[in-house]
This record gives sequence, C-alpha cells and structure tokens, in this order.
Amino acid sequence: MKVIRSLLKILTSVQLTVALLALSLALIFFGTLDQVYIGIRGAQKEYFESFLAFWQYPQQWWLGRSLSWLHLPVPGGYLIGPLLIVNLTLAHFRYFRPSWKKAGIAMIHAGVVLLLISQLMTNILQEESALWIEEGGSANYMESYYQNELVIIDKSNPAHDGVVSIPTKLLERQQSFQHPKLPFRIRVESYFPNSALLQQTEGGALPSSATNKGLAVEMKLVPEERPETTKQNEKNAPSAIVELIGTDGSLGVWLASVWLGDELPAQTFQDSGRIFEIALRVKREYLPFSVELIDFTHDRYPGTEIPKNFSSKVTLKNPDTGEDRQALIYMNHPLRYAGLTFFQASFTPDDKASMLQVVRNPGWLIPYISCTLVSIGLLFQFGYHLIRFSRGRKS
Amino acid sequence: MKKNVSVVLIILGVLIVFGGLRPAKYKSEFNVKEFATLPTLEGGRLKPLDSAARNSLLLLSRKQTYRTAEGNKKSAIEWFMELTLNPREADSRSVFYISNPEVLGLIGVEMKEAKEGHFLFSFDDLRPQLNEIQRQGQLVNEEAQLRTAYERSIINLLNGLNAYYRLAHSIHSPDLTSKVEHEFHVYQTAVEEGGGELEKQQAGQEHDKAALDRYLFFVSRYRDLSETASLKIIPPLDPEEGPPGWENVGESLLRVIKSGHPDPIALDYARLVDAYQSGDTGTFDTVMSSLKTDLKKRQGDHYSYGKFEYFLSQFEPFYLSSILYVIVFLVAAISWLCWPRTLSQTAYRLLWLAFSVQTFGLLARMLIQGRPPVTNLYSSAVFVGIVAVLLSLFLERIYKNGIGSAVAGLIGFSTLIIAHNLSRSGDTMEMMRAVLDSNFWLATHVITVTMGYSATYLAGALAIIYIVRGLFTKGLDKTTARGLEGMVYGIICFALLFSFVGTVLGGIWADQSWGRFWGWDPKENGALMIVLWNALVLHCRWGKLAGPRGIMCLAIFGNIITSWSWFGTNMLGVGLHAYGFMDSATFWLLIFVVSQMALIGAGLLPARYWRSPATAR
Repeated sequence: MKVIRSLLKILTSVQLTVALLALSLALIFFGTLDQVYIGIRGAQKEYFESFLAFWQYPQQWWLGRSLSWLHLPVPGGYLIGPLLIVNLTLAHFRYFRPSWKKAGIAMIHAGVVLLLISQLMTNILQEESALWIEEGGSANYMESYYQNELVIIDKSNPAHDGVVSIPTKLLERQQSFQHPKLPFRIRVESYFPNSALLQQTEGGALPSSATNKGLAVEMKLVPEERPETTKQNEKNAPSAIVELIGTDGSLGVWLASVWLGDELPAQTFQDSGRIFEIALRVKREYLPFSVELIDFTHDRYPGTEIPKNFSSKVTLKNPDTGEDRQALIYMNHPLRYAGLTFFQASFTPDDKASMLQVVRNPGWLIPYISCTLVSIGLLFQFGYHLIRFSRGRKS
Repeated sequence: MKKNVSVVLIILGVLIVFGGLRPAKYKSEFNVKEFATLPTLEGGRLKPLDSAARNSLLLLSRKQTYRTAEGNKKSAIEWFMELTLNPREADSRSVFYISNPEVLGLIGVEMKEAKEGHFLFSFDDLRPQLNEIQRQGQLVNEEAQLRTAYERSIINLLNGLNAYYRLAHSIHSPDLTSKVEHEFHVYQTAVEEGGGELEKQQAGQEHDKAALDRYLFFVSRYRDLSETASLKIIPPLDPEEGPPGWENVGESLLRVIKSGHPDPIALDYARLVDAYQSGDTGTFDTVMSSLKTDLKKRQGDHYSYGKFEYFLSQFEPFYLSSILYVIVFLVAAISWLCWPRTLSQTAYRLLWLAFSVQTFGLLARMLIQGRPPVTNLYSSAVFVGIVAVLLSLFLERIYKNGIGSAVAGLIGFSTLIIAHNLSRSGDTMEMMRAVLDSNFWLATHVITVTMGYSATYLAGALAIIYIVRGLFTKGLDKTTARGLEGMVYGIICFALLFSFVGTVLGGIWADQSWGRFWGWDPKENGALMIVLWNALVLHCRWGKLAGPRGIMCLAIFGNIITSWSWFGTNMLGVGLHAYGFMDSATFWLLIFVVSQMALIGAGLLPARYWRSPATAR
C-alpha cells in the first residue's frame, strides 16, 4: 500500500510533468537532428513511435571520428506520451478542486491529453497513398507510398481478375503460404526489402540465382540486396524469389520484383487448367469510384520559374451513388470525399500527368477539438490573471 | 539641465528620421533619379529599376553600394545604369565578391592582394579565367547538399557571372558599334524588305538573297536577346494584360515582324542608350521625359508604385530605426545610473519614434507586396522585432523604470541586424511559392508563430537584464526585481499562448493542405519545442521548482530554443520549410548559443556573488 501511495505521489507530481516536458524536448530535438541522416519517416519510426531511441553522434560533425561511438539513449514517444497522459489526468484528482479559477487549467490539460491520444490514433490508423492520373485518363486505384504486395492474379475469368495479395511484410517472416483460392503453395526462397536487379553477362562474376522460370531466366536477372531507406523522396524496391509448388510438383522458381513493371510482359503460368500471373508491386487499393483528370495546370510567376499554383481539374464518378461531378484540386484546397482527402502532390515534368496524395485519417477531427479546448483554456487562464493583475495595480 | 538634455535627445532622434527623407545625391551628370524610378518586371514582380539594381548588386558584391577605382562611393543604380546602358565601362567596376581561398587560387590571386581589394573583382579581372571557371562549374557535385565550400563558391560565382551578362543585355544588345536607334531603324527596313523574301524563298520562288540574309541576321540576333535579357522593361499595350504581358527588349523587337515598327518605348530606351554613350545629358533628359510620358500612358495607375518603392529604399526606415534603437537602449541604460525619471521618459518617447518608423517600413512593404507582414525569413526578423518592441512599450507604460525601453532597444536593434544579414540573398519581397500563396494562412499561422518567437525572446532579454544588473551592479532594488519577475512571467504566459495557437494553426493549415495535422517536419518540431519549453518554465514556477533566479536562467535558455526553431531547423536542409539554407549563419548561431550559456552560467552563481542584495532569494 505504501509503495502504491508513493508511486502515486510520483505519478501525480509536478516534478514528473517538468521531467517529461524536458525529456520530450530532448526527444524532439534529437529526432529532428537525425532527420538529416534517416529522413523524416525514419525519425518518426525510431524516435516518436518507439519506447527508446539511441542518438548517435554523427560522423560528419566536428570530432565525429572520435565521438561517433557515443550512443545517447533518448526516451521515445511511446514512453513519454502515455506517462504524460497519466500524469496530467491523475494530477487533477490530487491537486485540483473544481472551481472557476482552475477551469482553464482543466481545459488545457484535457485538450493536451486528447491531442496525445489523437496523435497515437493517427500513427496507427492513418494511411497515405498516391493516385497517378494522366490527362484524359482515369484511375480507380491508389498506390501505397511505402507498402508493397506479392500478388497472384487468376486470369481464367475474362470478365474479372481474381487477385490474391500477400503483403511483403509477411514475406519477411513466413516461409510458406497456402491460400484457399490457390491450387498451389508459395514457398519464399529469399526476400530483399530493398534491392537492385543486375543483369548477368556471359562469364560475369554475379552469383547465379535459384530462379528457373520467367523473366529472371529470360533476361538473366539477379536481385541484389540494398540497405533499406527511410529518406524523403527515396523508396525501397523489394524483390523476392519464390517457388510455387502445385499438387504435381514444382511450378518453377520465380523472381518477383517491383522493378519488373507494367512495361515488361507479365509472368504467367498455368496450373489446374487455370492461368495465373505472378508479380510483386506497390500495394494497391481499389476505390469504389473513379477519378478522371480533365486538365492539370502549373502556373508560374511571369518571367520566372517560381511556381504560383498547381491544380488538377477532375471528374469524380461513383457508379454506386450515381455521382458524376467535377472538382478542382489545388494548393491548400484538397478534395474530401468518402473519408479520403485528395490533395495536389506531384506531376510529371511535361505537365501531362498529376499525382494526388490520398490520405485516410479517421481521427482528423480530434486535433481540432483538443486545440480549441487548449486555446480557450489558455485564453481564459491568462486573461483571468491579466485582469486580476491590472486590478491589483490600479488599487 | 535635465529637461534640456531630454529635448536635445529627442530633437536628435527626429533629425535622424528627417535625414532619411533627404533626396539621394548622385555624382553622375545624368539624371539618375529619373532612371532609377523606371518600372521593370523582375522575379515575377513589378519594381523600379532601383530595386532591381540594389538586389543585383547585393547578390554580386554583398553590398548595395560600390567604390570606383578612385575610391568614390556610388549607389547601386549608378553602377546599374552603366552596366545596362554602357556595359564596356561597367566591366572595370569591382563588383564580384570572391572570398573562398581556393577560388581565389583558381583565378590566380593571392590572399593578401584580395584582402586589399576587399575581395572584390571586376569583370575585366575575371575575363581571362572565364573558361576555367566554367569548366570548374561543370565538375561540381550534382547533389547540391553534398557540395564543398569551394564548389558552392564556384557555383555562386558562375551564377553571378551569368546574372551580370544577362543584366548587361537587358536594355540593348551591346555588341554592335552602331547607334542603337539607328540599328532599330535598319532592322525595321530589313523586316519590310526581307519579310516578303522569306515567303518567296519558302514558296520556292526567286528572291533577294541579300535582303533575306539581313532579315534573318536580325531575327536570330533578337531571338538570342529575348532569351538573354533578364529584365522585362516593356509594358503590354493593353494594361489589362497585367504582369504576364510584360516583355523584355528582345521579345518586343521580335514583335516588329508582325507589327512592322518597333514599340515606341523600346525606341525611347534605344535613344536613352545612345544619349548616355555619347555623354549628351540634354538629349538624355528629353528622351527620359518622353519615355516617362509613354510609360504613364500605358501603365495608368500602377505607375506610382515604383516611385513609392524607390522612396522606401532611399528612406531606409529599418536602418533609421536600428540607429534609434541603439540610442533608446543607451538612454534607458544610463537612466539606471542617473536621472531615472527624465531619461527613462526620454527613452520611452524615442522608442515610440523608432517603433513608428519601423512600423511605417513594415506597412509600406505590405502595401507594395499586397501580403501580410511575414513572407520570408527576412520579414520574420523585422516582425519579431516589432512585436517585441510593442510588448515592451506596454511594459514600460506600466512599470516606467526604463527596463521596457532598454529591452526594446536591444531586441529591436538585434533583429534588424539579423534582417540586414538575411537580405543578402536578394529581393526581400520575392513571390510566394505555390503552397505559401495563401494570405489567410500567412496572416494567421505565420503571424501568431512569429509572435510566439518574439515573446519568448522578450522574456529571455528581460531575464538577461535581471542577471546582468543583479550580478554586476547594486542598482537592482527590490521593486525593480519584483517588477522584472512579473514581466518575465507575464510575457512567458503570452509566449505560450501565441506559440501554441500558432503551432496549432500550422497543424490546421497542414491538415487543410496535405490531409495530415502533424508531420514531424523540423520547423513544426521547432515550434512545438518553444511551446513545451514555455510550458516547462511555467510549471517550474507554479510547482516552485525554481526560484526567481532559476526562472531567469530558464527564460534565457528559451532564447536558444527559439533560435533553434527560427534558424537552426532551416539549416538542416530537410522537410517542407527548408527554404533558407545558410552557411555562415550556423557559425553565428553557435556563437549565440555559447553567449546564452555563459549568461545562464553567470545566473547560476550562488547568491553571495550577486552585488544587488534584492536578488538573493
């Protein structure tokens, strides 16, 4: 009981609040510094979405050679966040008695707790993908930024493709897959989260790979492992070598890779009288509606190359609801539709195709609520102090 | 006696302001002022030639003035006039700033020699090395972030040379010896005689080859010129067309093929060049007035904007107010030693003067740009100063002890010095890139965040005064110490409110524009750090974890956090806000951090070392 009481005392103490604030400052500072080397996404994973991070003294810095052994432990976001929530919540029960004087503080702390929860929700629930459309064309699927999938497509039915998708994350862990829709088993020979494809030349020094079917054999391609990247504007390009094992024995060892894109012939094979295609591609999500790009414009300030605006004029067609309407997506003005937010993100150098970034974040409204709470609380609290202060001076 | 000193000081302040209103004196025999106010479209914005000249010279030489070989100081527009009207003369002016020792080695100049010339070189100096500089430019690392200081310096020099060449071709193409007006008339005849020949040739008919060649010579000459000339100086015939309709001299001349005659404004400019080159000031003035009449007719209302901007550059409100801030600081500091009432009141009045002049400059910039006050790092520095001064004016009004004025003088002057150094990157009223092109968010998020910076600095500066006065002087009595504690507390509350609201508005902007509230971008993180720090200081006070001196030290550390957020995050070169990567700034930031740590160290000295007993708690 005594232990619990003293623990409770620590957890509700203002000392802990100050310590947590100081630690979160350190976390944000080192997490920002490391973005130079591991990118924003890397820092997010290592620092803000972890329990403990280690900041290494960069070799490029002054005395970097002799100091780069230094690994500074920094408590991560998943450690600080929950503790702060507990601290703020419990402190209210310990210190504060309901009164108008303290109403502002209660609001501020409630808002901060809500903000922390919403950030956690965002980390878990938010998905970002890209939607590329050419002028005059339309698209009904979006591609994930960072996730990839191994797909087996059943082509036997001319009206409808049957797609079996295996996220590449599973390829890392599992050796073998048996899907009820497929008459064969998939065995993962090797998997490279980031890779390059090299072409084997006559008498070349490249090691031979285990593949015996498909493009890898025809084009003499060998995958080579590359270090994984989390940097901005850089993507991982995974490759996998898999063996497909049917009831009558092996259907071949295949290379599947995001490098083998649509411009190359599909890798197809037959089994149990059905035609299949195997590919590793950027993870797709099909939409119940389509987006058609009517026009993409890229305005510059006269006489300069400084971009003034990017905009995509699109038509949204939803066969389920019968919707067929135009929308203009431009800087600071995204389109919100069906729980998704589409905003202008990129374009091809010839201005003929546009990329919309698509974000799904079910918790998007929470920060608005929590920030309003905190702002009103701050205004109330400081306003109260200010009025008292000026009254005090007058008298 | 006291009164007289006060009056003299205030008159001095007013005289300083009036000094700025004196019209500029140029040493040239030509009417430079009229030339300076001619309009041009450059960098996407209409401005007087004077601004284009200042920005160009600033980029080349890091200064807005230059010295002739005889040592006479001249203004940017005089150099610019020479460069655009008579480039051969201008080639001997030392305007290229080169300080990288390796680049100096490349062009064969010894360090000592370069130092004597203030690291400035003329185009004529560089001419023999042009090929080598160009070759070195091709060898630099393609990834800009990985370039060495030498490579960056080479690229800078190449960009400067390119800009110089393009400017020299902005009003006419200088490589023919004939008079420019004559050239245009010959061209007009060549179009009349040769245009038809081209059609004949294309139809396979018999044609006059000499006339055709003459025609083709001019067309290719002006096509080159249209690609080289960097200033657009010819307004569209229809003022409704606005900025996109402006043409440079080459583009305008190519239109002769259709219209049959040169644009009258282009012809005026040609005559201007001829008059300048032959030293004929009388003709120059006549041509200038006809050019101005033509421009006024065509531009209508927009015409006066250029004049206003010219006036603003001459007046230099930020320069004047920075001088006034120094005086304010000195007067307020002296008031702590003698005549506290008179001098602090004088400082307070002078502070109002400095504040008004700076505010005028800020409003004038807003009017010219049609934007909220903060659009880039430069204007953020100006704004940080203004807000801190405004808050200090309130503090001084309440406490009347000179502290508000002193701190305002300190911050006002420092932020204007920072702004001055940030202005080296060229036009400080540049156009806003696509994402930033939103007056609503510039007016809300950017303003509130900047006010947060400002207040955090103000708290830090007040804390510095507390520590310096308390530790080194006996003058910090109990009332003043309590007053300072109250000021720091109130300002930190203000800072927390504004930095929080500003950060949140940034999140909302991001959510509106990119569909995500928070992206861990360095600048966002920096703003959050300010919020967290101010919250930490306040909790330390409420929880009584730190006494008054401890709070002061924490407030000074706030200066470091704010500087990191304001500048440090930009130096990383990562993320959406990486718009101002700066080299030498890193050094100054480190110096600043060290100085603040030293002050904190002083503040942590045990009470027995403090000379003012009132701070001994």
